Amino acid sequence: MRKIWTIARHEYLVNVRRPGFIIMTALVPLLGVLGLLVASFFGGQASAFFERQFAPEPKQIGVVDHLGAFTPILPAYQERYHLFANEEAGRAALEADEIITLLVIPQTYVESGQVMVVSKGSSLDAAMMGDSTSVRAFFVDHLLQDKVDPALHKRLVNPIEPVLVSLEGEGEPGGGPLSTALNFIVPYFLGLLLVMSILVSSGYLLRGVAEEKTSRVIEIVLSSVTAWELLAGKVLGLGALGLTQVLVWLASAFGLSGGAVSLLGVAAPLLARPEVFILGLVYYLLGFLVYAVLMGAVGALGTTMQESQQLAGIFSGMAAIPLILNGFIISNPNLPLLRVLSWFPLTAPTVMMLRLPMAEVPVVDIVGSIVMLILAIPAVLWAGSKVFRMGLLMYGKRPGLGQVMQALRGA
Amino acid sequence: MTQNMLEVRNLVKRYNGFTAVDDLSFEVCEGEIFGLLGPNGAGKTTTTRTVMDIFKPDEGRVQVLGLPPGAAKEHIGYLPEERGLYRDLKVLDVLVYLAELKGTPRSVARQRALAWLERVELADWAGRKVKDLSRGMQQKLQFVASLVHDPQLLILDEPFQGLDPVNVDLLKRLIRELQAEGKTVVLSAHQMNLVEALCDRILLINHGQVVLYGPLDEIKRRYAPHAVRLRTPAALNALPGVTRMERRDGTLTLTLDGTTPQALLQTLVERNVPVEVFEVATAPLEEIFISVVKKEENDA
Repeated sequence: MRKIWTIARHEYLVNVRRPGFIIMTALVPLLGVLGLLVASFFGGQASAFFERQFAPEPKQIGVVDHLGAFTPILPAYQERYHLFANEEAGRAALEADEIITLLVIPQTYVESGQVMVVSKGSSLDAAMMGDSTSVRAFFVDHLLQDKVDPALHKRLVNPIEPVLVSLEGEGEPGGGPLSTALNFIVPYFLGLLLVMSILVSSGYLLRGVAEEKTSRVIEIVLSSVTAWELLAGKVLGLGALGLTQVLVWLASAFGLSGGAVSLLGVAAPLLARPEVFILGLVYYLLGFLVYAVLMGAVGALGTTMQESQQLAGIFSGMAAIPLILNGFIISNPNLPLLRVLSWFPLTAPTVMMLRLPMAEVPVVDIVGSIVMLILAIPAVLWAGSKVFRMGLLMYGKRPGLGQVMQALRGA
Repeated sequence: MTQNMLEVRNLVKRYNGFTAVDDLSFEVCEGEIFGLLGPNGAGKTTTTRTVMDIFKPDEGRVQVLGLPPGAAKEHIGYLPEERGLYRDLKVLDVLVYLAELKGTPRSVARQRALAWLERVELADWAGRKVKDLSRGMQQKLQFVASLVHDPQLLILDEPFQGLDPVNVDLLKRLIRELQAEGKTVVLSAHQMNLVEALCDRILLINHGQVVLYGPLDEIKRRYAPHAVRLRTPAALNALPGVTRMERRDGTLTLTLDGTTPQALLQTLVERNVPVEVFEVATAPLEEIFISVVKKEENDA
């Protein structure tokens, strides 16, 4: 155990000081800062766009009422809607930027529903008119004014007030759509984090192993510790290194995008469904271990960096499969395919991390996947260290599948 | 020289049907310098790797200090033939890390590493990166790396490779000093003169099998060419039992047949031949090595 710790410590300290690591780690925050600078430079235009899209200040709309149902405009709408006697007056106001859109309501409106929308330049505003809830309310309120029961009137303006109840989920705690969204986003982010740190630290593992192999120092190391200890130490040390890098990236991303938002993002689902968060962490750790060991073993097989990386790509691809299947996970988290993937150790961590927040996952899947992962880790470590040991001492030639199998059987 | 430091019994190791080590048995006694010799591909490296627990034997048994190889790692120092160090690390850090892997506490490792760097005249380089060292310096550093953890058994595979004569001499002296301190050394080298100068006993293997095994002087006597070397100012007539007389640099080599060196010396004394030098000729180990290996090849 002490030797594993010595190796882990050594790998961490040596690599954390490498210029390559420091540059890579600093690059993401630097790019973020650069992005902010660029954004603030072009800020004028961008902020005008965002303001137009999201600013609470309502746009002024002109109305030419040939039907007569909109004259006078109800007090609630007078601030935003302005009547014009005829189309020419309205167009003049549009030209003078006093209004942003002009609605011309014909006499045949009730039969045809057609309204002419006149706007300057972009047709986007016109297209959005029909979907806008506030415009819809403007029409309904004026047409039904004092004609129907107020409650019914209200329903006609806003026919559906959705209350989410999942078939499997009992009494989803409140918190509204924000909490639901965060419940999904945070574990999804953890899933992404897992894939990222697998790629980052497996890169270091590959490099470290390839370096020790090419510098021939490996034989001295293997005469002091077992392949098992070496692999375990490297996995822990370089895993911590990869995690450090990802955490620095995340911290800088949070720092740049405003700490408050991120804090809310992490805290809200934690309060809503703590078990999802805790299970997410469990899957993260177990998944990381399985992959790191695999990467170490695969790294030892290649004779060059490129060869090792190609081999490793097969496994890092598997980690990403669930992210590709994300659409299915959202629409039906308990799809049989997903349940199968949940039991398979290489896809389990990411699949489960994405399934958990979406629905009440059957307990048997949770227990099963965790048990499979826990069983897989020593198995992968055992097989990995055998392959590792054989691969490390073969120079110049990559071992074939037959030799890998032979190494697993004994020797 | 009583206890067996290393015991190899009927060791067999195969790779994909090729037998690299074939029923090999030998012992290394405590406190001796033991030469492990053989041509390239004879199975030396495979044997040492098995002793170091890097390979598992297919058959047979290996014991180091009475323990299975995996349990004795901390008592063995190993300088492999395929060697290298962490090029981007500092000299002292490399030594301390490698000693730590052998279970030596960091502070102790640091002290010993500094003392050893002093001994091999590399103390000024302790804070420099390994890649800044010359080849010869790296070679010495490798040697030091194999013994900072103070092992009882030292396995040196080609320790003299790439060293200049001054450093060869330094290393020779250090190996003798280590022996004097009670360490056991297994030395594998192709420089037969160095093996002759250092080793007490040798094992010569070829095709993974024992060819010669025993005390060096005994082997040399066994392979003596049955000749004497003689230096005399006098001219020599024919001598009984001497079939051939060869003069080189003022020294005569007399090949004997049907007589002994002792009888020849007696004859010389009887004939009043002034004798300046008289010695029983021995073959250099190199010649023994070549002739034995060639004979093997011819027999095969």
